[in-house]
Amino acid sequence: MTQIAAPQIDFGVIAPLVALVATGLLILLVDLVSRRATRRMLYSIGIAGCIVSFVRVVMQFGHPATTFGGAFATDRFSWAFDAIILVALAASLLLSLVRDAEDGASPAAYSSLLVFCAVGGMIMAAATNLIVIFLGIEQLSLALYILAGTGLGRPASQEAALKYVLLGSLASGFLIYGSALLYGASGSVALTDIAHAAASPSMLFITGFTLFIVGVGFKLALAPFHVWTPDVYEGSPIAITAFMAVAVKAATFSVLARFVYVVFGHDVPALAPLWAIAILSMIVGNVGAIAQTNLKRLLAYSSIAQAGYVVLALAGVTGSGLSTMVFYLAAYAFMNLGAFAVIALVGDGSESVADIDSYRGMFWRRPWVAACMTVFMFSLAGIPATAGFIGKVLLLGQAIAAGPWGIAMAVVLVLGTLVSFYVYFKVVWAMFSPLEDGASAPAGNALVPWIAVAAGVAGVILMGVLPQLFYSFFAT
Amino acid sequence: MQLIDVFPLVPFAFGLLTLLVPRGNQWVRILPILGAVLTLGMSLGFAAGYFVLGGTATTSSIHPWIVGPWTAAYHVRVDATSIWFVLLTTFVAVPAIWAAWSYGDAQRQRGFMFLLLTFESTLLGLFTAADLLVFYVYWDLMLIPVFVLLAGYTGSPDARRAAWAYLIYNGAGGLVLLLGVVGLVVVTHTFEVLGSTFAVAPALQWWLFGAFAIAFLVKTPAFPFHAWMPPTYTHSPPPLVAMISGIQSKAGLYGFIVFALPLFPDAAHAWAPLMLGIALVSILYGAFAALAQTDMKTLVAYTSLSHLGLVLLALFAFDITSLQASVLMIVSHGLISAALFIMLGFIEERVGTRDLFAFGGLAAKAPRLQALMLIAAMALLGLPGLSGFAGEFLILVGSWQTQPVVTAISLLAIVIASVYALRLYQAAMHGEYRVPAGAPAAMELRPRELLVVAPLLAAIIFFGVWPAVVTSRTSPPIFGHLRSYETR
Repeated sequence: MTQIAAPQIDFGVIAPLVALVATGLLILLVDLVSRRATRRMLYSIGIAGCIVSFVRVVMQFGHPATTFGGAFATDRFSWAFDAIILVALAASLLLSLVRDAEDGASPAAYSSLLVFCAVGGMIMAAATNLIVIFLGIEQLSLALYILAGTGLGRPASQEAALKYVLLGSLASGFLIYGSALLYGASGSVALTDIAHAAASPSMLFITGFTLFIVGVGFKLALAPFHVWTPDVYEGSPIAITAFMAVAVKAATFSVLARFVYVVFGHDVPALAPLWAIAILSMIVGNVGAIAQTNLKRLLAYSSIAQAGYVVLALAGVTGSGLSTMVFYLAAYAFMNLGAFAVIALVGDGSESVADIDSYRGMFWRRPWVAACMTVFMFSLAGIPATAGFIGKVLLLGQAIAAGPWGIAMAVVLVLGTLVSFYVYFKVVWAMFSPLEDGASAPAGNALVPWIAVAAGVAGVILMGVLPQLFYSFFAT
Repeated sequence: MQLIDVFPLVPFAFGLLTLLVPRGNQWVRILPILGAVLTLGMSLGFAAGYFVLGGTATTSSIHPWIVGPWTAAYHVRVDATSIWFVLLTTFVAVPAIWAAWSYGDAQRQRGFMFLLLTFESTLLGLFTAADLLVFYVYWDLMLIPVFVLLAGYTGSPDARRAAWAYLIYNGAGGLVLLLGVVGLVVVTHTFEVLGSTFAVAPALQWWLFGAFAIAFLVKTPAFPFHAWMPPTYTHSPPPLVAMISGIQSKAGLYGFIVFALPLFPDAAHAWAPLMLGIALVSILYGAFAALAQTDMKTLVAYTSLSHLGLVLLALFAFDITSLQASVLMIVSHGLISAALFIMLGFIEERVGTRDLFAFGGLAAKAPRLQALMLIAAMALLGLPGLSGFAGEFLILVGSWQTQPVVTAISLLAIVIASVYALRLYQAAMHGEYRVPAGAPAAMELRPRELLVVAPLLAAIIFFGVWPAVVTSRTSPPIFGHLRSYETR
């Protein structure tokens, strides 16, 4: 009988994860034990856990390490994604503090699930092995399926949860089947070993990789696997939508990037399907956003397009591509979290006030809210002096240097951006419209979302004006 | 940190200060004009430093901005060519902002002033940028104040629609430019391209020049990229249109002179036939279209198309005289169109319409207005002694050497210019005095309004009498470019 050797576990390496898991458990425990635990208190525990975990991540800087027999690696790459995921977690916990975010569900369950989601995302960011990747994705997704449906009073939220579960499990199926084929082709689940099989790819390998891309494409909401996105984004509670848009995307991109860099290491023809779906996403996302009248749906289509943009960072598979990707995702995090925070602020916890029409004349009633939203819209559109602009320049540089596919993607990005001008400026235009008499003014004025809005504006402007602060940090 | 580092941002800073002033306070008016005058003073200082004292360009230190696969730096400079654009900007901005004093809505005046000053900052940033990415940043940023001004500060549905035309055309041009800019940096690995020579392969040059040219032609605008211009010019408030037509329309021409022509000399020659065609069509189409207009602002808008087409002809005739004259023509057109649009604003404010058939004979009630309009209209048609003549004449003399056919055909536009300029002047000023019902009785210019326009007209006369002040001083860098063409 053979002994299965338990791998050595270095708890220092997984400390940020341990901190988060402990936070989630603590929230449940406090809710169980204390009768007087208020929502505010539970969410505060969650945010405190975020901060502890963030500090642990920062303490790892400069000391890359692996554990679990090499299946879990922390390095500059995983730290960057951990940071983005933790920021997204903190922001959505903050946004959840707005009145009735969980809409009748248990605040403890809600906030702990959100924390466990982030754990899944951080596992993905550090995973170097197909099984750990799958583990992370499922950890993230299962919790999120429930959270999408926490708007108990609203059928739209139930619908969102159902759609998300059905299509999400289908995606997981693709992913696990692709992983199995990759294992079959290479005889190993470790990415470094799969790289050997990638040198002379068999039919089995190509099929497995394509299925893997399909699964990842679902999670990233890349076209043509995006159809669930608008409904799920619209139906889910705003804080969950924000988390989905930012953290899920960042975590999944970390998986995709690690896979491409470790397994291929340079540009190969097998990546062509990836470039093709990036092009398709940029078109579908931007064109789809034109007709939207609801801000959450608009941002859903926007996130489809932005996911397409991020793929450009991988073009050519060069070293600077990773820092470009991290930069764009960080920019994306700031501008999206900020925009969702504005929606939460204006809607004051109710999900109904996300129509662009209710933003008409906003500037003349609430200039600060409108000014902040304008900054986020400009950044999404890629106007200079915002994070989105620098991100786009980096992406374009990366893509154009990468040859024909890259140039094609760059051209589509530019065309898509032009279309998106209409999309984002439509919101700005509405906010600067003359006030109409008798228009009902959304009244929300909670203080808490302002923290997220202010942080978003600061991040967007800082990354746009002094990009080197961020870029040099991520640059490898 | 040197003075020039912050120079382009001075108006913006004053704009921010203006936002802090309580609503309705008189400082809402005084601060912006102070900012504009201070900026004008600074640019005169740079000009004096350059022309009188030294002769070396004023350059800032290079502050690295992005260091990655390629480098970009915050780097501003004023040299023999760009100083004229900077002077034009700061000089036109003062009357434009002063004219904005009569902007009606006291509630919104702060924002209006802030956006005008921001607009001036983006223009100054554009003309002083020594780094191509910084140039692009300002190129794109320029869209924002204009879009917001049109969408939020005009109140008329037409203007709010014009905001879209402006945004989509100029945004599209900007994005094509972005492709070109990034395409270039992939080869050069730096955005510090001014004054350096890069061996860009001719095939690539052809594409990059095309990208640059499309953006520049949209901004100017030139036929067939001009569809955004008539609605924007017609429906913008006078201070804004004075700045768009007086200054912003020169951004594309500046881009040709400073970036596109020196960077891609081979491609410039390859593209020249098409560019000359575009220039010719713009010259004629603009002139004929101006003839047909009854809206006085639209009329002047089309004359812009015609006159800036002439500058385009000058650039692509590749002749020393016409190249030198192009800068003079640019300065002259900026002054003339700013003066005209500001005065048309005064007239519209009085008679309440822009329709040339709806009023007339203002000369009887407003002799001062008539005198000033006469100068501006004469400058528009190219009367000798005024700046418009000097620019046009030198361009035609120069272009004749290399492109006699195109030049000969474009002479037709000079003839038509007399017709539309006189028609504008006569319809508004001469004939029987008639104004729409409800117009106020006082038609004469108030002293402030007189002072707003007077400096522009004085400058028109100054450059008309002494054109060499521009042509002799811009020669070195442009001459250098041309020599590189000739040795090819």
